[in-house]
Amino acid sequence: MIKVEHIYKIFGEKPQEAIRLVKEGKSKKEIHTETGKVVAVDNVSFEVKEGELFVVMGLSGSGKSTLLRCINRLIEPTSGKVYLKMDNKQLEITSLKKRELREVRKKMVSMVFQSFALFPHKTVLSNVTFGMEVQKKEKRYQREKAGQILNMVGLEEWANSYPSHLSGGMQQRVGLSRALATEAKVLLMDEPFSALDPLIRVRMQDEFLKLQDKLQRTIIFVTHDLDEALKLGNRIAIMENGQIVQMGTPEQIILNPKTEYVAKFVENADPSGVITAETMVRTIPECSLPLRKVCKIEGEERPFYLIDKERQIYLSADGDEEIKLKKAQIMGKDLPIRVIGEGDKIAQEGGKYLPAVKSKVVLRDIIRIMMRANLPLVLVLSNKGRLKGVITEKPLFQTILKEHPKGSEE
Amino acid sequence: MKQNKLINAVLLAAVLLFLSAPAFSQEKMGLALWKIIKPKSKIPLPLWIEEGVDWLAINFSSFFDSITYLINSINNFFFSFFSFFPVLTPNLFGVPLYIPILAFVLALIAYFVSNWKVSIFTFFSLVLIFILGLWKETIQTFSLTLTAAFIALVLAIPLGILAGKSDSVEAGLRPILDFMQTMPVFVYLIPAVMFFGIGVAPGVIATIIFALPPAVRLTALGLRELPVEIVEAGKSFGCNPFELLWKVELPMARPSIMAGVNQSIMMCLSMVVIAALIGAGGLGGEVVRGIQRMMVGRGIVAGIAVVIVAVILDRMTRYVGQVKRAS
Repeated sequence: MIKVEHIYKIFGEKPQEAIRLVKEGKSKKEIHTETGKVVAVDNVSFEVKEGELFVVMGLSGSGKSTLLRCINRLIEPTSGKVYLKMDNKQLEITSLKKRELREVRKKMVSMVFQSFALFPHKTVLSNVTFGMEVQKKEKRYQREKAGQILNMVGLEEWANSYPSHLSGGMQQRVGLSRALATEAKVLLMDEPFSALDPLIRVRMQDEFLKLQDKLQRTIIFVTHDLDEALKLGNRIAIMENGQIVQMGTPEQIILNPKTEYVAKFVENADPSGVITAETMVRTIPECSLPLRKVCKIEGEERPFYLIDKERQIYLSADGDEEIKLKKAQIMGKDLPIRVIGEGDKIAQEGGKYLPAVKSKVVLRDIIRIMMRANLPLVLVLSNKGRLKGVITEKPLFQTILKEHPKGSEE
Repeated sequence: MKQNKLINAVLLAAVLLFLSAPAFSQEKMGLALWKIIKPKSKIPLPLWIEEGVDWLAINFSSFFDSITYLINSINNFFFSFFSFFPVLTPNLFGVPLYIPILAFVLALIAYFVSNWKVSIFTFFSLVLIFILGLWKETIQTFSLTLTAAFIALVLAIPLGILAGKSDSVEAGLRPILDFMQTMPVFVYLIPAVMFFGIGVAPGVIATIIFALPPAVRLTALGLRELPVEIVEAGKSFGCNPFELLWKVELPMARPSIMAGVNQSIMMCLSMVVIAALIGAGGLGGEVVRGIQRMMVGRGIVAGIAVVIVAVILDRMTRYVGQVKRAS
């Protein structure tokens, strides 16, 4: 959807010399002392797929906001190319004329700001209709559309208030509504939740994720908060000194920080919402149940799995191609197997079932499931329902302590 | 880069020293340059200016006449607007009915643009002015002020927008505005009379020159001090420069622009009084007569009327910028 190729941004007049120096491999500091120019973005390339939520994470001064503005050319990149692919057409944003660029901004790319950037002289409603007003859409359409969106973010009652009467969270919802109202497929978000209180921020993140589930926009989201990045991002790019130092899924970043800079961030990050069952699953021979001599699990041809004789855990399964687990026997007791997917409610009654989770369920939920079921293990199933293995306490603790013996499986 | 600056500074210092040295020790140093220039006792700048002004006054008289005509018509428009009522209303108990009506209408306007306190003040102070017998003069001053302020703002706000948008325009305007603002105001009166004759027009022109700078400056300042993200927001939705100005920047800069308007009107009022020296009339005329004939009372009463007009105008324009947002 969006492709960024070798973007450089150098602040200061006549940047060509600085670009040459950058390409020669001089550091930001050296270039600054030599030429007085600031290298804000240094050879950044990435691609964002349709419907993806791509997070750019970095500390202040890492060039992340500048990079974001290079994409819709609120800041002209010094060199490099930005492409926008849409319905099999490819636009090169960086070579558009001003008028064409305005069309792109009107219809295809919209933006949300850190300070909300609402127009204080306009009501909430006319803030939301602003983009459509510039598009010269019909008045009635504008009002209907804005009403719908305000309804979606729960602000319909505030349509005629002024932004100054709203709390920070509500203001940013207006900012988001304004950006969504243009129906732009691409959304650029510059630290949209950074100015909010921690509690409100978390709530906004949740709401935002729900909204994104429904709307499936292509989003580039800038933040300085790794937890936010991990929570929201399908993929994350970590920036330092204008460069992307690592790019990958939240799990990859937590499990394999590539540089010390990233490692330092990850050290304090909370993995419980990021690491999935997939990463922690151990195949049955490897699992760390106390007595391991008996495990026998070749393949799905065999309908029965015997995990552990001493603790007497049996799994029984039917079917040839797709194994459907039916029940387990734990300490002589027959238990039904209950499959719990992402976001499913977790039943309270412990000791009455053996939990099985799909591979994308995250650490936090697995711990919760174990607690509720009152068992030290959880089965892991592939999406097709095949048994992948089990998770016992040990990999859980290792993950929480960030001692990854195996690293990512991907 | 730093080296360049150092070299430049040294060169500049050397040149300045070379040029200014003779001023400190003329004959003794006997520098060649000074001998070449051989300045006489004074540069005849006043003479040049006089000749220049004469030349302009003679060769551009029709141009100046048309401006005079324009100003007079605007002033007449305002004046006749305010003196239109007496024709319509009968006298009631010896007091013309239009006085309370007009006072009431102005008080009502004051109520809508600011608050009830200003409104009450407006009503009673206008009645007071009538009782003092200064109604006609007040109306004259009022229309002169409005005329000058109107023309000044029509010129100043676009200039201010240009200056707010373009660094080079601002750099070019700044010395001119400084000149206009710091030049003693009486100095404008002399050429104004030569170009526009005695009467309203030269007064208005001098007033405009005096009242223009704050509105230009505050408009430019208002545009320059807008939050970056708000302007970016406007751009990010695809506004063209005109839409950006009209829908985002000007409304956002409104408090600052209105402060400029307010300042400008206040300065117009103070200058309109001075302009009475060249026959602009109104309350200023009363003040001038008071001075010339040593009539303390007459002068001070006219002065009080000026203060009242000033307070009304100030309060009315001060709140306009904030009204909408505060609701």
